[in-house]
Amino acid sequence: MKFGLFYEISIPRPWTPEKERTVYNNCLEQVKLADELGFDHVWAVEHHFLEEYSHCSAPELFLTACAVLTKNIQVGHGIVVCVPEFNHPIKIAERTATLDILSGGRLHVGTGRSATWTELGGFRANPDTTKKSWDEFVRCLPKMWMQETFSYQGEFWSMPERTILPKPYQKPHPPMWVAVTSPGTEIDAADRGLGSLGLSFAGFDEQEKKIKEYRRRIKSCEPVGAFVNEQVATTNFLFCHEDEKTGVEMGKRLGNTFNYLATQLISTREVFSSPSYQSLGLLPALRRAATGPDANEQQTEGMAYGDPARIIRAVKKWESLGVDCINFILNANEVVPQDQVMASLRLFAKEVMPVFAKGSAAKVAAE
Amino acid sequence: MPLYGTLDITQNAKALPTLANLDTEAWTLPKAEMLQLLIEVPRSTTDGLLPKAMHPALPSYVILAVTKYSESPVGPFNLAVLRLGSRAGAHPRGFLLGAIASTEAAAKELRGRWGIPVEAGEVKFLCRHDRVMGTVSRGGKTILDCALIDPQPVAGTDVQYINWVTAANAPLDGQTQPMLIQVDPKYTFYKAERGKPQVNAFDAAAWNAGAITLADPIVGTCCTVDTDLPRIRFVMDPLKPVFQGTRRIRESRADE
Repeated sequence: MKFGLFYEISIPRPWTPEKERTVYNNCLEQVKLADELGFDHVWAVEHHFLEEYSHCSAPELFLTACAVLTKNIQVGHGIVVCVPEFNHPIKIAERTATLDILSGGRLHVGTGRSATWTELGGFRANPDTTKKSWDEFVRCLPKMWMQETFSYQGEFWSMPERTILPKPYQKPHPPMWVAVTSPGTEIDAADRGLGSLGLSFAGFDEQEKKIKEYRRRIKSCEPVGAFVNEQVATTNFLFCHEDEKTGVEMGKRLGNTFNYLATQLISTREVFSSPSYQSLGLLPALRRAATGPDANEQQTEGMAYGDPARIIRAVKKWESLGVDCINFILNANEVVPQDQVMASLRLFAKEVMPVFAKGSAAKVAAE
Repeated sequence: MPLYGTLDITQNAKALPTLANLDTEAWTLPKAEMLQLLIEVPRSTTDGLLPKAMHPALPSYVILAVTKYSESPVGPFNLAVLRLGSRAGAHPRGFLLGAIASTEAAAKELRGRWGIPVEAGEVKFLCRHDRVMGTVSRGGKTILDCALIDPQPVAGTDVQYINWVTAANAPLDGQTQPMLIQVDPKYTFYKAERGKPQVNAFDAAAWNAGAITLADPIVGTCCTVDTDLPRIRFVMDPLKPVFQGTRRIRESRADE
């Protein structure tokens, strides 16, 4: 089992320059500590215009800072929106290659298509075509990274023959993933040999079904890249505390705040009738969970908050379902004070991570 | 946390529709033809239109709908409504700003049963192969002239209609008081089409919509649906956040 951090970079109103800078600095401080503690990944989303929920519109810059500040932790660009109005594919290839070089070959590239009208409408993108443009982009990217020269004529973009520079540090290219929120995207991931970057908070049963289908289909995939990246990552909240009650209470507060902010987003389906967005993605589950920012109802099972023993039980369950990596959201709207986030990371690394470290005495003992 | 509306509906309670009780019987409305246009509006123009209990949708948008009800307990009527995109707690809702019904009887019943702020006027619904049109006038003045241009078939499953919230006076705990009422119709789709919204005339003041100006069209749909106006299930305190001030009036429908 691998562990990562997952950043939306949520910033509460009022947005003063100092507040945005403080939150970004808090995130960087967490990443630096996570690197020292042995966490495997740091992922950062690409979102635009999502007030309070995510101020992470330039993740490549944030991740560059992460890479420069750290030694080992892998940096996940997750996800790059593969819609031409958001990102030109040449720029994606160039930016990611540069980040791979600067990080010394620690880059993972997540791909996706955006789920909110706030973002798609903001860029005047056509929701009907985002699945198709994503498909074109993910097939082009590996070739743009690997081939000396590249030319392309597609439905959504084209270019004459040029040499796209620089090339990634990793050979043949960085691992590729796709964000999985809508039902069926795990099949898209498997069929293309992409890692499944789960962004939903679904319960065990639903996740187990998705993972089984992913594992089954990826065996016969036609990879878009030079290799198959068979990995299943899921997202969770993390708050680890010596006292279970304190850990659960703060973890619930974190989860409720995140969920409530997420439910304020205008999903594409809510306003734009399109066969391309038949599902509300992760929102139905969040709306069921988010009765309010201070709700105290039972949240989705398997959340990684509480004391180390409770969190170990949750992680073991995810491991048994076939999850390879859990990426943790550490904060939302800064409801968890920074010193407590840092203490939670330290305690998790001390008490939980050894149980899941390959070949460790703690793991052997636990088994 | 998310922004809240600023409208205190208790300050102008006399202007709100008044319900005799919260025991409204449901109406079945078969084969209704619904023209619905979604349009983004400047956020600054929606200030003061949304109750304090609710969150604004970001970006701000309105839903213009013109519906032809061929059958109802008060006979055939057309209804045009303007709703403001918003959130009741975690849930997307359209807060009803204004409405015009084509018959006095429909207007009276819709006000008195569900708190829809409706007046009687002239409401036309015209369906052609190249466009579906809705026009609304009152006192000889056109207050809405809109259309769905170039309708193309889509699946009913592609269309999502969000629930309504109205502001009205109604008796609760022995006292008639201002409150928010959730109106959550069900839909069975027979036909759905999608196209571009076009608005040729819109008089915001006539829809109780303050200074709203229509900015960026999102999408338009025209659907044939069996629908209903249901029994009232939830009411909300207009001044408390919805997640703190919601009261369940009766259980959910048997099929939910």
